[in-house]
Order: sequence, then structure tokens, then C-alpha cells
Amino acid sequence: MRLLALLWSLGPLLWQLHTSLLPPEALVGQGPAGAAAWTLANYRLVLAGDPPLWRSLLNSALVGGGTTALTLLLALPCAYALQRRRGPLAWGVGAALLAAALFPTVLLFLGLLELARTFHLGNNLAALCLPYTALALPLAILLLRAAIADLPPELEDAARLEGMGLGMRVRAVLLPLLAPALASTAILTFLFSWNEYPIALTWISRVDRLTLPTAMARLAGSSVFTVPYGAFAAATVLGSLPLLLLVLVAQRWIVRGLTQGAVKG
Amino acid sequence: MSELALDLLLMLPALLLLAAVFLLPLLRAAWLSLHASSVVTGLVAVPNGGANWRRLLGDERFLQDAWQTLRFAGVSVALELLLGLALALLLHRPSRGRGALRALVLLPWALPTTVMALGWRWILNDPHGPFNALLSRLGLPTYGFLTTPATTWLATVMADVWKTTPFVALLLLAGLQSIPADLVEALKLEGAGRLTILRRLTLPLLAPWIGLALLFRLAQALGVFDLIQVLTGGGPAGSTESLAVYAYRQALRFLDFGYGSTVLMATFALLLLPGLAWLLLQNRLPRRNA
Repeated sequence: MRLLALLWSLGPLLWQLHTSLLPPEALVGQGPAGAAAWTLANYRLVLAGDPPLWRSLLNSALVGGGTTALTLLLALPCAYALQRRRGPLAWGVGAALLAAALFPTVLLFLGLLELARTFHLGNNLAALCLPYTALALPLAILLLRAAIADLPPELEDAARLEGMGLGMRVRAVLLPLLAPALASTAILTFLFSWNEYPIALTWISRVDRLTLPTAMARLAGSSVFTVPYGAFAAATVLGSLPLLLLVLVAQRWIVRGLTQGAVKG
Repeated sequence: MSELALDLLLMLPALLLLAAVFLLPLLRAAWLSLHASSVVTGLVAVPNGGANWRRLLGDERFLQDAWQTLRFAGVSVALELLLGLALALLLHRPSRGRGALRALVLLPWALPTTVMALGWRWILNDPHGPFNALLSRLGLPTYGFLTTPATTWLATVMADVWKTTPFVALLLLAGLQSIPADLVEALKLEGAGRLTILRRLTLPLLAPWIGLALLFRLAQALGVFDLIQVLTGGGPAGSTESLAVYAYRQALRFLDFGYGSTVLMATFALLLLPGLAWLLLQNRLPRRNA
């Protein structure tokens, strides 16, 4: 059973890896492309392409980093205040956040496109972080609120009695205790940003500003018959590698983050 | 500064950004759906007295896409819940290398949809993909999986199930971990078999998590866009087109923002269905427990 689950999950990925290492002739030759010797030709091709793939990888990394930082910066104070409040206001905000977290973001693309036009935010990677942050915020706030609710309340009261101000309490008490929750929130936010497609598709048109999902889809836009599948596969492998490492290293935090959000959400 | 004022101040930046990105576009789409705004009007919004909505009700492509979206969401979410439950039970059982197994099984969920949609196109390729390579090695004719409506639709469902089952499994795993182990032990001592434990203990206690996974997946599947756009482009002959893809086409290919907004709002209305069902269920569950 375990083997079956692994085969189902990894099979398609391993096939991409295999394809990416085959020389282009072997891919369109007769029958199965199995016997040819492996080569790195496809990787050289996509990395030297126009625009080179490392450009979109870099763009995605920049947007991911910016989005993650901004999300944490806005979500933490909001979650902290929300957790302290009781009554209909806090309940209403919590319910609205849950609804927003479930909302399929593609339905917002038209309005966001108009916002981008009005304020000239198109083709601007820093500006792209704004809608991304907003889309990541609901889940981030809910996760952090759940983590803050788990802290013993006496801790902050004690710190307050010691005469610590809010800033001091945040730095000395809150942040160290919240480190694991902040880590899992950061990872989930980065994953979302790295994978987001419809908004990047409508905001970014300059090829040297494309993020990875849009660059990949642009490759796919060419006809099915002329698509260079070897280069494709190499691109998918390169685009997946950072995530692969992230998930393998941070599996525990991802599971814990989602678990906590689910329990309290 | 009072506590309330301070708390409001702390929440304000996040809530303002959320309002700008969620509420503004939704209100704008609702407003635009009552206006003509296309190349004909020079992209200026002109009120047209509900003409968009009348057009929608008689638009066969919209009705077909609505049905296709519902069918896609219903079938893939049902499969994801079943497989996700099985996977969660498997990942919950103690074994060597469980952490590594969890991480590896989680991978499909973490990868960009567009990236793997491309991967599937290659895997289903005629005649060079592995399935067709196997067919031709067996001496059978190869098959264009992405050329007929039925198999293309199956491919979209399979790709969606492949990618999101790990997510469902992860949520349900969280639920499984919250079930006290001594409850399971107590039932075992009474001589209950594994199926009995699953039916009498695990599933009832897992119900809130199943509900949450169902709600989340249904909302996302009804708004499916990336996968369809890259894997099939809505084809062949529009047979896999979803409402979100249709709205995107109306707005950005035909530059009809008024009608595109109307399709978006109709999809939004469709989304409210699982939301309402969830609310009803929430109200019913506590009463049953009481």
C-alpha cells in the first residue's frame, strides 16, 4: 500500500526527470524513448532560452520572498489583536477571514486587472506582492491567531506586570514562542506565491518579468505538435526543485501549520 | 490609547488590504455585470439594464460550462475525499520512515499546477508518452488521450485528483491525530474489528474535518482555472471548459468586460451553494450531539 501511494505520487515526477535527461532525438524517435543515454542538453537549452528560465525562477523567488515578508508583517499584529478581542466584531472578522481563505482567487482577476491598470501596477514585481499578500493573509491570520490562542495567557500578564511595554512583550515573549507557527505560515505563504497563476497571467506581460507558472504556461501555449517536450521537462524539474527541497526540509512545519489552522478554523 | 483603539489600529493595515483586493473587485464585477463594457463601447461602461444577465440565461455555452464545472467538481472532490481518507489512514499508521513518506506523498500538492499540467500533457502524448509507448509495445494502436472529450475530461479529473488528494489527506490526518488513542484501544478490547472502529468511532469524530476538506475543495474545484487552461485549454471543442476559463476568455480574448463580469458573478453565486450547505450542517450537528 505504501509503495502504491509512493508510485502514484512520484511516478509522474520521475517520468519528467527521466524525460528531461533524454536527448531531443530520442523523444520523437520510434517507440519508447528508453534506451538513449542521459544528457544535460535540455537543461542547457532552457537556461539559455529567451528569456532564460533562471530569470523566471529569480522573479518567482523575489515575489515569493516579498509576499512572505509582507504577509507576516501584516498578519501578526492583526492576529494578535483579533485573538484579544471578544464579541461580534471579532467573530465577524474571523468568519469573513475563513470565507476569504476558502475563496477561489481566480474570481478576482478582472477587478484586480483594472486596479493594476488604474494605478499602473502592471509588469511590476514589487506591486504583484500586494494582491499576493492579500490573498495569503486570511489563512496566515487564522493560523497565527490559533497559535497565539495556544500560548498560556499568564505569560503575557506576567510580562506586563514586570512593566514591559507592548513592543518589548512582542520581542521577548511573543516572537520566540511563535517561531514554529511563523515558520509554517511563511512556508505556506511562499508555496502559494510560487504557484499562483491567474493574477500573474493578467498583471505581467513583459517576458523578462514572468513568474515561473506564467513562463511555463507560455511554453505550453505553442502547438502540441511543436512543443519541445525535453526542454519542457527540464523546465518542470528546475521549477519543482526549490519546492521539493522546501517540502522535504519543512514537512513537519507544513503538517503542523495546517493541523493547527484546521483545529481552530 | 485604549485597548480597543490599539487593537483596531493593529488590525487596520491587514483589513484595508483585504478589502481592496477582495471586496473592491467583487463589487466592481457586480457593478460591471449591469453594464455594457466592451470594444463596442470603447471599453467605457454603459448601463444596459440587465441585458448581460438575460444573455447569460440564454447562453448555451455558459449553461454547458456550468454543467461541466459542476460535474468536474462533484466527481473529482468525491474521489479526492475517498482517496484522501485512505491515504490519511495509511499515513497515520506508525511505521519506519513515516516522516519521509508524508513529505514525499505531499509533493504533488506543493508543485505549481501549471507545471504539472504540462507534465500530464507529455505523459498523455500520442504517440511518445509512456502510456502510448506501452500500448505500442504491446502491439496495440496508440491513442490520442487529449483528442476526444471523454478521455480529456478523465485526464483533467485525474490530474486534479493527483494534485489535491495529498492536501485532503493532510487535513484528515490532522483529524485522525486528534482522536484519543485510548478510545480506539477501548473498542479493540471490546473485540471490535477494524471496520467497526472506522465506522463507529473514526468517521463520526472525523466528520468536522471531512466537512472542512469538502468545503475547501468544492470551492476551489468550482473555480478551477489553472489546470484546465494549461492542460486542455478548455478543449476539445469546449468540452472541458470551466466557468472561470469562460469568464477569462470573455474578458481577455473577446475584451467583453461586462459579460465576463456577469459570468464571474454567476460562478460566485454557484459558490454560495456549498457555503450555505455548510452553514445548515453547522447548525444541525451540535443539536444532534446535545
